Amino acid sequence: MTKRNATKTQEHILLITFLLIPTILILLFMVYPLVDLFKLSFTNWDGVSPTKNFVGLSNFKTIFTDSPEVWKSLKNNGLYFVMHLLFIPLELYIAFLLDERVKACKFFKSVTFLPYVINGVAVSCMFSFLYSSQDGVLNSILQFFHMNKVAWLSDPKIVNYSLVGVSLWRFTGVHIILFLAAFQSLPEDMVEASIIDGASSFKQFWYIVLPNIKSVIELVLFLNVRGALMVFDIPYVMTNGGPGTASSTFTLQTVNKAFKYSSFGMASAMAIVLMIMIIVITLGQKKLLNLKR
Amino acid sequence: MMLAELEVKKEKRSNEKALKNLGEVLKVVFFMIITVIVIMPILITVFTSFKTLAQVGSESALKPPTSLYLDNYKAVFENGHVFRALGNSMILVIGAVSINSILSTMVAYCLTRFDFKLKKVYYLLFLIGLIIPGTVTEISRFGLITNLHLYDKLLAPLLIYVGADLMQIYIYNQFLEQIPVSIDESAMIDGASYFTIYWKIIFPMVLPATATLGILKAVDVLNDMYIPFLYMPSANHRTLSTLLLKFSQDPRTSSWPKLSAAVVIVMIPTLLIYFAFQKYIFAGITAGAVKE
Repeated sequence: MTKRNATKTQEHILLITFLLIPTILILLFMVYPLVDLFKLSFTNWDGVSPTKNFVGLSNFKTIFTDSPEVWKSLKNNGLYFVMHLLFIPLELYIAFLLDERVKACKFFKSVTFLPYVINGVAVSCMFSFLYSSQDGVLNSILQFFHMNKVAWLSDPKIVNYSLVGVSLWRFTGVHIILFLAAFQSLPEDMVEASIIDGASSFKQFWYIVLPNIKSVIELVLFLNVRGALMVFDIPYVMTNGGPGTASSTFTLQTVNKAFKYSSFGMASAMAIVLMIMIIVITLGQKKLLNLKR
Repeated sequence: MMLAELEVKKEKRSNEKALKNLGEVLKVVFFMIITVIVIMPILITVFTSFKTLAQVGSESALKPPTSLYLDNYKAVFENGHVFRALGNSMILVIGAVSINSILSTMVAYCLTRFDFKLKKVYYLLFLIGLIIPGTVTEISRFGLITNLHLYDKLLAPLLIYVGADLMQIYIYNQFLEQIPVSIDESAMIDGASYFTIYWKIIFPMVLPATATLGILKAVDVLNDMYIPFLYMPSANHRTLSTLLLKFSQDPRTSSWPKLSAAVVIVMIPTLLIYFAFQKYIFAGITAGAVKE
């Protein structure tokens, strides 16, 4: 009995000593900011002054009724979202081939993931050079084929597609590797059995492979929502949201509101709206995915 | 008769084989195109970093440099305290990776081996941490960092990297669950304390996971621009990412050849990590995505 008590005490001591520091850090740097974000969203705090005036829902009201630039930016986020979404079937196909269905798949696998490993600022600088209107590479290629130059980053109608292109270059590989991981976790005989049964490769894929990697598809869809709504470094480095606000994104607007215009209250309200959008769209996607099967 | 039939069969088979070969070739061509798309921007940047400004203006970007012109690199090293930035980045990487691996395994050990009331709260936090990205809460975290007098100190990003990464704990949990509890029990019978079990058995046994997660974390920290950009504005505290950001905005260094040299320098650490530890990186991503 005493021995059991001793182990119990030992357990308590261990739990307290092991969990104390991590828990403090989690509370401080994750939970507290989250709670504070809600509180700040109801104030007009400027980021420095000690007083925070309660302004009720007026920040939210301003976002929804009097912030055309925010909604214009959100439309740009929408383009990132849709384009990455359209790439998912291609990513699935590439991953399917990389699962031992193409020669030198190991080499191609490391090539596919390479862009993600490169520093985001470096990627943005590289593509600024490719897109540059004066001595840029893409324009000299166009000229080589006797076509007109394109203002990749300064034409408001084109700039977002140029930036989405960079985003696709950088992040497509991540989805592919996630899908590949899912394919490799499938039991081998599952696919083989369907081949013996004479199922066509499309049928194999649609009825046998896809339903079994649903959790990873859900994960990729979620990462896509989160990534698309939070695009920051590509437009920040390459165009700073310009020309004008043509290539601005929701996060860029939020950061500007807080750190450029010192409206932390407003920025907090925007962060809350962003969070709610991520949750709602993710749940919607999940529902849609489950409806299909 | 028989012979003719055999011929037909043979022909059919060789047709099928040819078709299959064609498919193989097409697939490889498809992947070659992807490879070109991935490699080209990087290759062009490397080429440009060895050219003079005049060469960049006059010749094709796809043309390899004819001589080993190093002035761009010289300019980057002279203007930019590259080693200081590399040092700051390394401090953050080594700090974040080592503290994270110890704290996260400790939490995972508690969560997988003991039953206690608050356990559910941690699982709820995992979920919140996954859904709500750090970037969103940065606005309010900023006030916290200034109140704690951490603003413009290396400790600020370090604590954020360590304190807000619940994903790592979650993945460690999955690794720890695979270690049979009977190992713990037999050690207990031999008189080992819980702490000894953690330090002598659990921690060494999850080292492969630590390698994987550590490498992923190192790449993340090296490539992060947002947090050092927000919390460490002074020149002394630039990391590789914020240094490059500075270069791209400074007219003295933002000419394409010089900027390309800076890009190449900043790319090198993560590329080295990637080529050396690729296996671990893929293993880590798989562990995070696919629950066994």
